[in-house]
Amino acid sequence: MSVLAVKGVTKRFGPNAVLKNVSLSLDAREIHAICGENGAGKSTLVKIMTGLYSPDEGVVSVDDKPTAIQNPQHAQELGIALVAQELSLAPALSVLDNIWLGNRKVPLFHRRKSLRMQARAALDQVGLSDLSLDAPISGLSIGRRQLVEIARMLTRDARVFFLDEPTATLSDVEIERIFDALRTLKAEGKTIVYITHRLGEVFAVCDSVSVLRNGELVGTRPTSEIDRGHLMEMMLGRSIGEMYPTWQSKPAGAALTIKNLHVPPVVHDFNLVAERGTVTCIAGQIGSGALTILRALAGLSAVATGEVTVLGKPMRLRSVAAARSANVRFISEDRAGEGVFLRLSVGQNLTATKLREHTTWGVLARAKLRETAAKLAGAVGVDRARLFSPADELSGGNQQKLAFGRWIGSAQPGALLMNEPTRGVDVGARAEIYRLVRGFCDQGYCVVMASSDIEEVLGMADRIICMYRGHQVGSYRRGEVNMHRVLADITHPAAA
Amino acid sequence: MTEIALGSRLRGSGLRARHLVLGIRIVAAATIAGFALTTQGFLSTLSINALLTAISFVGCVAVGMTFITLTGNIMSLALGATVSASALTFLATLSFGIVPALLFALLFGVVITGFQGFLVGYFQANPILVSIAALSLLLGAAAFATGGHRIYPAGDGLAIFKGRIAGIPVQALCFFATVIAAQFILSWTRIGRQMAMVGSSSRAATAAGIETTWTITTAYMIAGACAAISGVLLAARYGSGDMELGAGYDYTAIAAVLVGGTAIAGGSGSALRTLVGVTVIAIIEVVLLLRGFSEQLQYLITGIIVLAVIMLHVVGERR
Amino acid sequence: MIQQVGRFLIAPAARPFTIMAGAVVVLGLIDRGSGYFFSLGTLFSVMQLFASLGLVALGLGLSMMVREFDLSVAGMFSLAGCIAVITGGANPWLGALLGVAAGVFSGLIQGLIMTRLKLSSVGVTLGGLLTLQGLAYVLSGNQTVSYPNMSVALGLNAPFAQLLSVRSAVALAVFLLAALVMRYTYVGRDVIATGSDRRASRVAGLNTDQILIGVFAASGASSALAGVLLSYSLGAASPVGLSDVLAPAAAAAIVGGVSVVGGRGSPAGIAAGVLTLCILRSGLSAIGVPPYVHDLVTGGILLFIAVLDAPELARHITAWRLDRAERRAQTFTEKLS
Repeated sequence: MSVLAVKGVTKRFGPNAVLKNVSLSLDAREIHAICGENGAGKSTLVKIMTGLYSPDEGVVSVDDKPTAIQNPQHAQELGIALVAQELSLAPALSVLDNIWLGNRKVPLFHRRKSLRMQARAALDQVGLSDLSLDAPISGLSIGRRQLVEIARMLTRDARVFFLDEPTATLSDVEIERIFDALRTLKAEGKTIVYITHRLGEVFAVCDSVSVLRNGELVGTRPTSEIDRGHLMEMMLGRSIGEMYPTWQSKPAGAALTIKNLHVPPVVHDFNLVAERGTVTCIAGQIGSGALTILRALAGLSAVATGEVTVLGKPMRLRSVAAARSANVRFISEDRAGEGVFLRLSVGQNLTATKLREHTTWGVLARAKLRETAAKLAGAVGVDRARLFSPADELSGGNQQKLAFGRWIGSAQPGALLMNEPTRGVDVGARAEIYRLVRGFCDQGYCVVMASSDIEEVLGMADRIICMYRGHQVGSYRRGEVNMHRVLADITHPAAA
Repeated sequence: MTEIALGSRLRGSGLRARHLVLGIRIVAAATIAGFALTTQGFLSTLSINALLTAISFVGCVAVGMTFITLTGNIMSLALGATVSASALTFLATLSFGIVPALLFALLFGVVITGFQGFLVGYFQANPILVSIAALSLLLGAAAFATGGHRIYPAGDGLAIFKGRIAGIPVQALCFFATVIAAQFILSWTRIGRQMAMVGSSSRAATAAGIETTWTITTAYMIAGACAAISGVLLAARYGSGDMELGAGYDYTAIAAVLVGGTAIAGGSGSALRTLVGVTVIAIIEVVLLLRGFSEQLQYLITGIIVLAVIMLHVVGERR
Repeated sequence: MIQQVGRFLIAPAARPFTIMAGAVVVLGLIDRGSGYFFSLGTLFSVMQLFASLGLVALGLGLSMMVREFDLSVAGMFSLAGCIAVITGGANPWLGALLGVAAGVFSGLIQGLIMTRLKLSSVGVTLGGLLTLQGLAYVLSGNQTVSYPNMSVALGLNAPFAQLLSVRSAVALAVFLLAALVMRYTYVGRDVIATGSDRRASRVAGLNTDQILIGVFAASGASSALAGVLLSYSLGAASPVGLSDVLAPAAAAAIVGGVSVVGGRGSPAGIAAGVLTLCILRSGLSAIGVPPYVHDLVTGGILLFIAVLDAPELARHITAWRLDRAERRAQTFTEKLS
């Protein structure tokens, strides 16, 4: 009997079909992995199965009975629990309070002995026997917080646990602890759905794996019957082809030299020499330190130390002003929080870094600014008619283009750093952004890109640096390496 | 309904929603104008002058408050006390002449408020907390300096403030000049643009290389200057001053800012909008007065209308 | 060792009590045994002040704990007093009930507006403040309304146990109740969770809208009760000036360890904060120090706390330390070469 299943499920957002006719069945006593690249539809499928979305077509069944899961509360009553990547623990509360937070069955005086004992039992089950119930959450590492959240689900009598990228930011020891907890749960008859990018872990702890690609289910196989290569083929099937521009790279001398970059606690001893007119990609998953390195170069880290030289001149770290005057430009991975001014207009966003050149005696030359904005909009492919619309009306892809357009035509080309440049960007805009990146290269910029999207890395890079947990594990030139090698590097196969 | 689905549906009808809100605003403005114009005695010189005078004092403070709100720092509870203290400074230094006294008062406002801005900008200290602290310090320092007595002008020459130029009271002219200067700064200068950017997202501003500390400090300094101007005008009008002069201005000022349409979250705002806000509130008050509503009802109705207009603005921005 | 103790005392949980103890010690020293400060009379006046300021600070503090800011407490303070005085002539309990009910009602309405329309509390409570204040003016006809029932006024203020009056005892009881609820029931836990991380709490299953509305209702009720008690004890109600109570209440809450960004604070801490301010005010005047000193001291403490709690402070200190280390290393290598 299947505990939870979907059959023929389709989900659309606007004109895009994010899931197409997906069917999947989960049994008790099973750890089931769901794999797929960014945008494959994994999180949408999970949200349908946990009550956050309803499918446009198809049926969801619980215990073999068709059930429409109304909302997350209903899912909770049915025994379905989601441990999302963004944990839902309140930092100001203790472990005990967080475990019972939001649980309907808690009486008014909520710290009764019986509840303490139940919480203790749940913590023991996930391997946190040494954790005090009254410890504040704010003092725990992310790995332990994850386990606390799983313990919370246990106290809600969950039968099916969805874990979304549970190990992205964990140390090896913590990952083992999570695995042990999952195996214990499985032995007790629970079902675990493990959503991950990390193929090594799929084979380490999961019984079967389903692969999604472009919204469709490619297949479901027991892990004993396939191997890594097989799995990767299922995940990455499509041709790289038309997405990425072709080019001739013209390296023109070292533009950016990094020595002994330390950014505690993540990055240790990073070194790099990047040349003008080339794209260097730092490949790594979340927690590998790739993003941290570029943020530190942009001056946004308060604790980075090391020696950095840009275009021959030494650059101070820990200061955004120093990075700017050294011609280091940065495009953030956090578009909404740090990349784009959502409440300002498109034109104002595009000219955000050009104000000085348009100012005389403190006064802006507004007509000239509008011209510049129009030119930049044309250069990045944003409709000029939208120059006066607020930026939050644009799609994610167009907003990202604003972040890029800001740096076009700045006086002297220097280094252009970008973190996850196509995160949350639809396919059409991605191709345009890649063309923009290459355009910067041709102008003489030294482009350094941090990305967890291996296909993107391979499609764009002249030079690839692989990062794993803050250390450089591989350095390759274009053509020297293939997807399998990069994937292996950043997921560290040495767990075996 | 899921958030994404809702968002895309709203976005599809976005244009229509925006036009709808604009329509509501026009109707609201027309209603207020209608009430005003059909009120007996509204268009008389007396009431217009009363209106202008009422606007001028609070209006300057409201314009200053706009800068603080624009940069994402919500409001300051110390501007009212700054008004009073600047008035006292002005009166006390009149013996040096009008212009030096004016400069002293301006300097006072700029420094006191600018320092608060520095704390908020450099340390990201909570702006409301800092303003409450400054309020206490100002009250204490003023009580110390004045010994609790009213301050009378130490010199002469205040008559100029009591007159009119081209039939408009001097206070009103000063106020309009302040509005124009402030709007110029906001729309036409680099620092004004930077203030909007910092208010929209201070992290994005930092990442784009803007000196956020200096931007926020400047915004506060301008707010201090506006408060000082209001203080000088009040001192000239009443011929003497104490710390009660500007009491309560903070609330009216922020109300005017919000009624005018500046977003409380920062990132968008203009002095002209605040002018509209101040005018609307003043018109409502004068209309209610002329129509014979008791002072109490005026206060109440003004409060309700302010609440309604604020809600209207934000609902409109929900799109 | 000293650093550790120091850090413990300044930590947000212990801070309000440290400051309160500090205030007592400093005032005691200034007083130098002449008996003005350490006297039952001073203590009584402290508790009288506590009765009014404390309940308003409690309400405001609760709203701050969920990361909002209830400006309307000042308006409710005056309005409830007017309501009670006007309607409680024959039956003081009726007047009190109506006043507190008005507080609950105004909190509910404002909370609903905030959660349904997703507005920030500043705008809504500002409108609420002006509206409530306006209602107070209307009800009182913009004059001081006197309360005929003198025995109630006297009874509320009569000292018993030499320290307390009925008024301050009621205030203490409310604080005690609030402290018990916050500490021992899940309501308290949910309030802190909502303030600490609203999104996470919602995902975990809390009805954060309900919690917000409840907090604002409690805030309204608390400041209403304060207004009712004060007006009864004065035998009169008048629309009080706006600034009179808001700034001290916010100051008391913050000194009491409530964080403006939510998720931190407790009724016990707020009580300590209120007591600190009251001790300073009563104590300073008992000693004979001019009243402006009180404002200066309060302002100074608040400024200190504002900078101490500021997010960028730690970052600047770390950056400064690293810069200094790098400069030292540089001069060292220069000396070598």
